[in-house]
Amino acid sequence: MAQYLPLAALLVLAALFAFLSFVGSALLAPRRSTEQKSAPYECGIIPGREPPQRFPVRFYLVAMLFIVFDIEIVFLYPWAMVHGDVGLFGLIAVLIFSAMVFESFVYLISKGALDWGPLQINQRQSEMVDASRTATSTIRKVGLEGRYEHAPAKTAAASASDELDETASAA
Amino acid sequence: MGHPFLRDGVDFGDVILVLVIVVISFVLCLVATMLMVWFERKVVSRLQNRIGPNIAGPFGLFQTLADGIKLFFKEDLIPERADRKVFQLAPYLSLIPAFLMFTLVPIAGDFSNVSESGTAGTSTIAGREFLWQGADIPVGILFFLAMSSLGIYGIMLAGWSSGSKYPLLGSVRASAQAISYEAALGLSIAAVILVSGALSTNEIVQSQSGSLRQLNIVATGFVPFIVFLIAGTAELNRPPFDLVEAEQEIVGGYHTEYSSIRFALFFLAEFMNTVTMGGLIVTLFLGGPAPLFDLPLIDVMPTLGWFAGFLLFFGKLLIFLFIFVWFRATLPRLRYDQLMDLGWKALIPVSLLWLLILGGIRIAQNGDLGIVENTNANVAIVLVASLALGAVGWLLLRAAMDNAREERLEEAGFQLIAVPPQQLDGHADSSTSGASH
Repeated sequence: MAQYLPLAALLVLAALFAFLSFVGSALLAPRRSTEQKSAPYECGIIPGREPPQRFPVRFYLVAMLFIVFDIEIVFLYPWAMVHGDVGLFGLIAVLIFSAMVFESFVYLISKGALDWGPLQINQRQSEMVDASRTATSTIRKVGLEGRYEHAPAKTAAASASDELDETASAA
Repeated sequence: MGHPFLRDGVDFGDVILVLVIVVISFVLCLVATMLMVWFERKVVSRLQNRIGPNIAGPFGLFQTLADGIKLFFKEDLIPERADRKVFQLAPYLSLIPAFLMFTLVPIAGDFSNVSESGTAGTSTIAGREFLWQGADIPVGILFFLAMSSLGIYGIMLAGWSSGSKYPLLGSVRASAQAISYEAALGLSIAAVILVSGALSTNEIVQSQSGSLRQLNIVATGFVPFIVFLIAGTAELNRPPFDLVEAEQEIVGGYHTEYSSIRFALFFLAEFMNTVTMGGLIVTLFLGGPAPLFDLPLIDVMPTLGWFAGFLLFFGKLLIFLFIFVWFRATLPRLRYDQLMDLGWKALIPVSLLWLLILGGIRIAQNGDLGIVENTNANVAIVLVASLALGAVGWLLLRAAMDNAREERLEEAGFQLIAVPPQQLDGHADSSTSGASH
């Protein structure tokens, strides 16, 4: 059957659709370009600097790593198709191949090639954080003034914090 | 046979049939996209306690059409710093792959009867067999991977040619993200191919029709499905992976400088890809137009034929489209390092390991392993071996990540020293004494 013909036909149709949209827009849309409109977008202010032509090298690195993995996947597809025919031999071959790729993957990670963002340093527990602080003791409910039945009685946590204050002042 | 361009028994009737199918799938693609935009806006507004579009047409159905017509009348700007040719080319590169990918999805058909030529899900019109999909090509799913890579060129070139900083940032983010997740996407598709033993989408659906156990979501053991869903969402640059268009950081991402109908085409391509991705998940993992399981009492297939297939497909598709919208309404956006860590350090190793386990189990079930006589014992050996393999891999990855961290700490001038014990004790003392009073 003509299996690829629909793709070729649809490609032409899609390109034609995009082209005709541009033609339609060119015929219908106004053309009143000003210097401000055609300047690079900068949230309403005049751009002071040249647009950057370079970007962080990590993006290139990811692109290079991707090629390694894409090639691996491309090699795995034929095995996935015929794994029944090649049996144990194929499985062991794929295992060796995957181990090699995984080894390089581990090396890349240990070299920090896939680390993004700032370094996360263990944060020391703040002295302000007390184990006795809970949601009931810290969240203040607004708009309850003058309501007797819902007026919060002095909770255990609140009294505990009062005690803490007392011990602090005593010390 | 007479014409040199028409070979292998293809005659003008076939060509006309193909052209009709192409025009229908083209129109269907546009209508589906239009409805998807409406669906997303309507659902997301309901989830956010709003009403959403409700003026244009019944239930606001024609809102997208109205927006599209409006965009024709908007001024089309090309920024002065832009590389004009590439700037004009980029929308084509984004839109055409989106259209072509849609042809891979079988949207209807009765997969319970297999025709004489050995394909299921066919219908006959004027004595000619055809499938309910744009094109059934033998390479099938590989074509999807190729087209989704080509779509990245559209985004990359759009941002690069704009001559402005936000689009450039958006486009490098987009391409790094898309290629990172493409590896995981490819590995989870490999698991489907392993189980179905076919590349063409029609045969993948055919291999799943029958019982619940044959559905790929069950047969591949759920993990590839989850990986595909996450990687597919990331590939679409949809929330929570929409760093590409993160408004708060980089305005609109790669299409910041695009206006009028050029912007509309990017928008169209994006939503077309969403529909296609939903359709592909249904095709690869949930049996597409084939029923999920045999219904003994109400067997709709013989009476409704291809239309029952369409209803089944549409129902399944709607679930995933709703999930995509639900993600958007619910999940906060990831940080870029979280995004990259999830893609590279979680999804790729997991899907690779899972593919190897699946292959091992299937070879053991075929009786090719030959370690012991019993097949079940062989499968058990494979499972134990894969547990060991997974543990070794995980330990290696952990060691690598720890090493990378230590190196960065050293580079930043931190030295790994322990906190003096007295200080810790003193702190603990004061806090315990305070609480005990």
